[in-house]
Amino acid sequence: MVGKDCVAIACDLRLGMQALTVSNNFPKIFNYAPSTYLGLTGLATDVATVSDLLRYKVNMYRLREERNIAPQTLANLVSSTLYEKRFGPFFVSPVLGGINQTTGKPFICGFDSIGCIDFAKDFIVSGTASEQLFGTCEGLWEPDLSPEDLFETISQALLSAVDRDALSGWGAQVYIIEKDKVTQRLLKGRQD
Amino acid sequence: MDVLLGITGKDFVIVAASKAAMRGPTVLKADDDKTRQLNKSTIMAFTGEAGDTVQFAEYIQANIQLYTMRNDTELGPAAVANFVRGELARSLRSRNPYTVNLLLGGMDPISNKPSLYWVDYLASLAQVPYAAHGYAQYYCLSTLDKHHHPDISLEQGLKILEMCTDELKRRLPIDFKGVLVKVVTKDGVEILDYDNDKIVKSA
Amino acid sequence: MDKLVAQYSRPRHQDEFYSEQEQRDLTESHPSISLKFDLPPLENPSAFLRAMTDDHSNPSCPIKLAHGTTTLAFRFQGGIIVATDSRATAGNWIASQTVKKVIPVSRLSRGEDTQTDAPVPGLLGTMAGGAADCQYWLRYLSQQCTLHEIRHKRRITVAAASKILANLTYAYKNMGLSMGTMLAGMTPQEGPALYYIDSDGTRLPGNLFCVGSGQTFAYGVLDAQYRYDLTEEEALELGRRSILAAMHRDAYSGGFINLYHVKEEGWVHHGFSDMNPIFWKTKLEKGEFSNVTSEL
Repeated sequence: MVGKDCVAIACDLRLGMQALTVSNNFPKIFNYAPSTYLGLTGLATDVATVSDLLRYKVNMYRLREERNIAPQTLANLVSSTLYEKRFGPFFVSPVLGGINQTTGKPFICGFDSIGCIDFAKDFIVSGTASEQLFGTCEGLWEPDLSPEDLFETISQALLSAVDRDALSGWGAQVYIIEKDKVTQRLLKGRQD
Repeated sequence: MDVLLGITGKDFVIVAASKAAMRGPTVLKADDDKTRQLNKSTIMAFTGEAGDTVQFAEYIQANIQLYTMRNDTELGPAAVANFVRGELARSLRSRNPYTVNLLLGGMDPISNKPSLYWVDYLASLAQVPYAAHGYAQYYCLSTLDKHHHPDISLEQGLKILEMCTDELKRRLPIDFKGVLVKVVTKDGVEILDYDNDKIVKSA
Repeated sequence: MDKLVAQYSRPRHQDEFYSEQEQRDLTESHPSISLKFDLPPLENPSAFLRAMTDDHSNPSCPIKLAHGTTTLAFRFQGGIIVATDSRATAGNWIASQTVKKVIPVSRLSRGEDTQTDAPVPGLLGTMAGGAADCQYWLRYLSQQCTLHEIRHKRRITVAAASKILANLTYAYKNMGLSMGTMLAGMTPQEGPALYYIDSDGTRLPGNLFCVGSGQTFAYGVLDAQYRYDLTEEEALELGRRSILAAMHRDAYSGGFINLYHVKEEGWVHHGFSDMNPIFWKTKLEKGEFSNVTSEL
């Protein structure tokens, strides 16, 4: 979700097999550069595989280029990586959020499982509660929110949405990304 | 109907696996060992497709040992877990994937902290304070939610394990022939004497 | 004179009784149940209905019924504890978090909440499976129990009431009814009585039952600490804690904990309370649920 000179990205913490909750501490947001984060929803094994693969690729990029990867660059890297498995896709739909250190501008985008990039100026949602999230985000988001207001907005949007989805919830993590500061917060959501 | 249970405590990890090896309607063996020791301080318990289980476990066991010989370092439980996950994930997208569910229990050789990893046949990995596989998940996780604390002693751990096996004896329609209990402590892996003959009455 | 004597020598209350025939009509007639419902005009209506409504075998079925539940009831020395969650789901969508899954089956209260704390005479039924099926047939049962009470001038036994329901579900077997229900009540003849009835036509008396998608989780907590000689306090807490366990682990259970105690004088409601504050209280005060993170 985009704010004024800031971006927020949030995920729930559940790992489950259908109705059974296996773990309540399974964060789905991964850090790839000081102000660039990627959230991965979908099949748990692919969440781990894709995040590890991208970590490897991003580390190689950083070693070769001797600089951090920009969110726009990471978006293209994610897209290419997903398309490499065009005929046997990873079952994930990533969400990327970050601030470009050169321009200082926020950047967000989402992907489908084979790498189609979905650019947006307001918010991106994905996962089992995406229908609910569309509703809450459309209702709560407004342009140019301050970091504090953005935190409040994204948290309420996420919590309200997962409270109407049987398969997500059990707590949440929120990252508020500003140009030179990242705040991580844990939300104690409903535990049912 | 195989049972795998894992419980961590203050300075140990208990891993219990049912002793029945079943094929169709037959119990082939009533004292099966569904665990393999990977190195000095990690063990792996497994269930799943017949054949796949032992093949995969021994493949992992051999590779972990090979790594230790080549590099002269013991892998910690986190390293082992991520290696196992990687191998299982690779196999998942091959023509003939291993169908195995695993529990990995170990003590970190440096920090001496116990850890337990839950891995399913899709190679989902989660670090948890207690875990189960198969139908045992449905019966035991709630019991463990209530009675487990991170700093329990081994005696308390075994008492909780007994609550779990009692519940399984009470509610599972098929006899799993008791459990084989192994415990990992900083001194290594040990098989524990466990009373499997207790008769549990239903309410 | 004879005429006069005859007129007054009749047994005094003869006219106040129903005739033999009238009595028979009243006691033996039952409203017919087999022809009240419209069926799809097809060769095999039951198979069609199953295909349309069973989202387990066909996740994209057009008619989604409310499903997913944890309900429990157990007998102990002080009566019977009945506890349920309150979530209704249609697929993964949480349709409601405030469903009342305990249905009073009695003449005096047909679903209305009582204003006083006094025990309400009558039975309690629980609801798992198809919400409409359970509500309708427990309402029907309530009607039958009331008629029984009027006809026989005494309250129906739990055994008889459960048999009425079981006969009914058996009559509609394989027609797509979906219900797993428990009937709990206390009568002078039986003491505390608990029956499990489901849409297959099963009817079982017992000490302890859990029904619904979260049943195993509730059993896990309940079995470990269940004794017949539990005190009232302990029994209520165990019932509450077992439902909480199931709400936490089962995605299709959640919402509010609905707790009842059936005593000799009738049932008493012990609250319809949100699980979330209870969960965090249990975790932070007793140190349970160590798998849930409360700090970064």
